[in-house]
Amino acid sequence: MNSDKESHSHDDIGCLAAIEAFYSYLDGELSNPKAIEDFEHHMGHCRSCFSRAEVERLLNERMRESGTSKAPEDLRDRVRRLMDEF
Amino acid sequence: MTEKEDTKTFFSRGIEETMDPLYGTALRLTRTGADAEDLVAETVTKAWSAIDTLQDRQRFRPWIFRILHNCFISNYRREAVRPRESAYEENDDGGLVALLNTQPDEFLIWWANPERQYFNNMLGSAIMAAIDDLPDAFRTTIILINVEGLTYDEAAEALGVPPGTVRSRMKRGRTLLQKALWQQARDAGFAGPTENSRHKA
Repeated sequence: MNSDKESHSHDDIGCLAAIEAFYSYLDGELSNPKAIEDFEHHMGHCRSCFSRAEVERLLNERMRESGTSKAPEDLRDRVRRLMDEF
Repeated sequence: MTEKEDTKTFFSRGIEETMDPLYGTALRLTRTGADAEDLVAETVTKAWSAIDTLQDRQRFRPWIFRILHNCFISNYRREAVRPRESAYEENDDGGLVALLNTQPDEFLIWWANPERQYFNNMLGSAIMAAIDDLPDAFRTTIILINVEGLTYDEAAEALGVPPGTVRSRMKRGRTLLQKALWQQARDAGFAGPTENSRHKA
């Protein structure tokens, strides 16, 4: 995605590898410390991938804020009554 | 305390702690509050009758979500008005780069350089509407992971699919979501065709 020479330093994983790791990293699923370090190193050097990641992070926050719902009290009462019969 | 009482106490606490995410997921799956409440109630009943199948109490959350998902598939999915199913193959952990390479140039330009101002102002309701329009497999996976906070392993268990399928669905689902948001942005005048994209086309 980015041809800036600064984004491809000697030990940089490059944009293609960073893109493959995008959602795993943002969703906390990248467990290998070296993979995390490599990804973060790339983010520190590549403006395009960093910008992309920031938008995805913002999207994650919005989804969590907007998508969660509280169970109505009626439902809680109904379930409690159900469980009383178990 | 008898074994049954211990099991019931554990079960009641587990249900209480997962009630909000269960209801939230049910609401997004069924799209109506009444159906969501029925789905949760049915899930609780089925879960109690199947409590012996829970091998590891630490896995209560994916276990109960799997029962909710199975109840939805059995009783509600056919009745709901569903968007078209995805034409994507699901049996591989296809690379995101390869997937992006099949997308239109204008979308790729947006994907690589998203309009930050547009995202800053984007309403959560618009995002959730775009998620609701995704095909079931992607919608459910994104809801479980990005909204309700399940791990990829928990989501795989809840959906009864291998972890690789969850990773693949996340990449594809998020790309489809981005495409829907790109379309919204275009409609709002944020992501019009660029000189570059016109020349490439």
